[in-house]
Amino acid sequence: MSSTVAAARPGLGRRHRSTLVVVAALAAAVAVVLVLGTGDDGRTARLDPDSSGGEGAQAVAGVLDDEGVDLEVVRSADAFDEAGVDAGTTVVVTSADQLGESTVDRLVDHARGARVVVLEPGPELLALLGTGGSVTPLDTEDVVPADCYDPLYAGLEIEVDRGVGVPGATSCFDGALGVTDDLVLLGAGDLVTNDQVTRADNAAVALRMLGQDDRLVWYVASYDDLTGDDGVDVWSLVPDWIRPGLAVVVLAVVGLIFWRGRRLGPLAIEPMPVAVKAIETTRSRGRLYRRAGDRAHAAGALRAATRSRARDRLGLGAGTDEAALVRDLARHVGRHEADLAALVGSGGPVPGTDRDLIALAHALTALEEEVRRS
Amino acid sequence: MSITGRVPLLLLLGVVPVVLRPAGSTVWLWVLLVGLLGLADWLLAPRPAALELSRRPTPAVRMNHPAETLLLVTNTSTRTVRGVVRDAWQPTAGASGNRHGLRLAPGDRAALVTPLLPRRRGDLRAFGVTVRLPGPLGLVARQRSVEVPGTVRALPPFDSRKHLPSRLARLRDLDGRSAVRVRGQGTEFDSLREYVRGDDVRSIDWRASARTSNVVVRTWQPERDRRVVLVLDTSRTSAGRVDDVPRLDSAMDAALLLAALAARAGDRIDFVAGDRRVRARLRSAGVREVAARLQDTMADLDPVIAEADWDALAGAVQGFGRQRALVVLLTPLEPSAVEEGLLTVLPTLTRHHRVVLASVRDPELDRLTAARDTIDEVYDAAAAEQAQSRRVRTAALLTRLGVDVVDADAERLPPALADHYLGLKARGLL
Repeated sequence: MSSTVAAARPGLGRRHRSTLVVVAALAAAVAVVLVLGTGDDGRTARLDPDSSGGEGAQAVAGVLDDEGVDLEVVRSADAFDEAGVDAGTTVVVTSADQLGESTVDRLVDHARGARVVVLEPGPELLALLGTGGSVTPLDTEDVVPADCYDPLYAGLEIEVDRGVGVPGATSCFDGALGVTDDLVLLGAGDLVTNDQVTRADNAAVALRMLGQDDRLVWYVASYDDLTGDDGVDVWSLVPDWIRPGLAVVVLAVVGLIFWRGRRLGPLAIEPMPVAVKAIETTRSRGRLYRRAGDRAHAAGALRAATRSRARDRLGLGAGTDEAALVRDLARHVGRHEADLAALVGSGGPVPGTDRDLIALAHALTALEEEVRRS
Repeated sequence: MSITGRVPLLLLLGVVPVVLRPAGSTVWLWVLLVGLLGLADWLLAPRPAALELSRRPTPAVRMNHPAETLLLVTNTSTRTVRGVVRDAWQPTAGASGNRHGLRLAPGDRAALVTPLLPRRRGDLRAFGVTVRLPGPLGLVARQRSVEVPGTVRALPPFDSRKHLPSRLARLRDLDGRSAVRVRGQGTEFDSLREYVRGDDVRSIDWRASARTSNVVVRTWQPERDRRVVLVLDTSRTSAGRVDDVPRLDSAMDAALLLAALAARAGDRIDFVAGDRRVRARLRSAGVREVAARLQDTMADLDPVIAEADWDALAGAVQGFGRQRALVVLLTPLEPSAVEEGLLTVLPTLTRHHRVVLASVRDPELDRLTAARDTIDEVYDAAAAEQAQSRRVRTAALLTRLGVDVVDADAERLPPALADHYLGLKARGLL
């Protein structure tokens, strides 16, 4: 008993080894994904105040906090609504590309009177804020001097990997920073990141820009706050003529259908002839026998046919009786009379099964072949 | 009315104004413009009624042999007409290339030839002529279908024609020889000629030889001026298809070969076809064109799903005359049909005439009896054996009544029937 089990076990293991390997690999992959997934708590976004990565802005946020600025980080529009914002507050918005129409409205509403700094606004956001103008390319190969009348940034220089120019009544750093009343737009978000804040005067610019007030609300925008209406309308992205152009194409296709669909005169029809297979009645009679399972009848018909052919072959008259035929046949092929009587005689045994009937049919064919040859 | 490909193209061109002035109204204005152009074009298009259509009759043609039909189009208007004409035929007429371009000055006439290839026996009909005449802009066309009656008669193919030369050769062999072998009724004295080596010595006419210095033999010719009556059964049993050819068509083939042969042998041929009633009748066709006339008579015979009325057919046979004849019944050896219909009239026929029954045998029956590997096949084989034995019994019954039965495959029936006829003729039994 135990030997059977022992013998079976390695066989089982061998047979399922590849399956086990695949399952194990899958389980490992799932585990890795889960571990990595849980390690990421959503604080790795660019310019996130809690992110210590190269793209994060933890350094600037930490310095501001240390310097006595009352820093509050909000991560949703609701939280932002609850955060106290007044004239002595600076609101900085990061992940600005995730703002939609509704969240921009809420931002503008709630931050009225406060200084608002938007880092890296996109063209859609500019349109939503109603600043006019658009994003322009910016040459950032060298150090960019402030080169503006705003005393806050006078004499400072920034150095970033890349940035864009943004609109503003007062434009500094070649347009990388635009100030319009209480709205500050920064196209070169790089200067706030942990990696690049130490280059040139980046840190000074960042701290002066964000540390003007005692209180700083750091609003990290999120797609989660968007409502259904904020989805970007495809039609707003395509040229004006596409919609009527499509209508024209549809109409042309309809015209195409009418052109190709119209026949040159009616379909020519053929009066169909009667089609009857001559063999059909015989076949259906065969099916009828089959359904009725009438083996006796079928065997009788096959035997009678063999008898009549043997009679012709042996040159016996049509009136020859069956016993005489069987006798002659036995002499002719050299078989026992009783055997032949059982095979071809009308009194032969009725086949009990379909298999027997097939065997009988084959035996009769073989007999006829024998008669023909001898 | 119909539009041409220019309309969708013109509509598509609407993209240009839409790009220049992107608004919904541009689309509608463009559609309106195209519509107005189309309407103008339609109003300016010539009327199909301005064309006069007529058709020349198409001579009869053998099945599967090419023919053509001629359609005459006359422009009766005062304008030049261009367009397309479609001469539609029923599909089995094989009217390929039946669309014709048309460009006719006022008063001009064009002959449009449509090739035909009839693939079915009988009268194949034209289906109608459709005329499509576009306007001057080529945007919209007036279209109309007119009935221009036309038929092409597709004659039975007479494929057994290939057996005719060999049978005619045998017929010529009968000249002189048949009388030598059999001195019975029906051999006719022809002439006396000199003995040549090889002649049967029994044919030497001693009385005539005595009067001359040479040995003279009598020559005989096979009996002439006998009557052959072909009876073609078009009833339900003739509709059955054997290897996808209706039995009727195979029987026609056999009848044509026998008629051609008998006509050359100097016999007269009568023909009657029918089922419930007599469908076609042909009396004493002339020697030369008998096959052609018979083909023409047979062309539009189709099987009818009805039982044959043998009384009517036998009556038609008697109606041809009281003279003794060879009556060939071209009907399948179908036990039930023969026993219930034919048997009752046979005694009257056999009393006056020599009767032969020519039947198309189904080779499928033999194939069924031979296949015995599965239980289905064995049951089919049993049914086929039974059908065979019934056929044999019916054939024996007919033979007892004095009817010769020629039962052969579709392919072999015409020569078999011709040989049987030659055999009867050789023995002087007509």
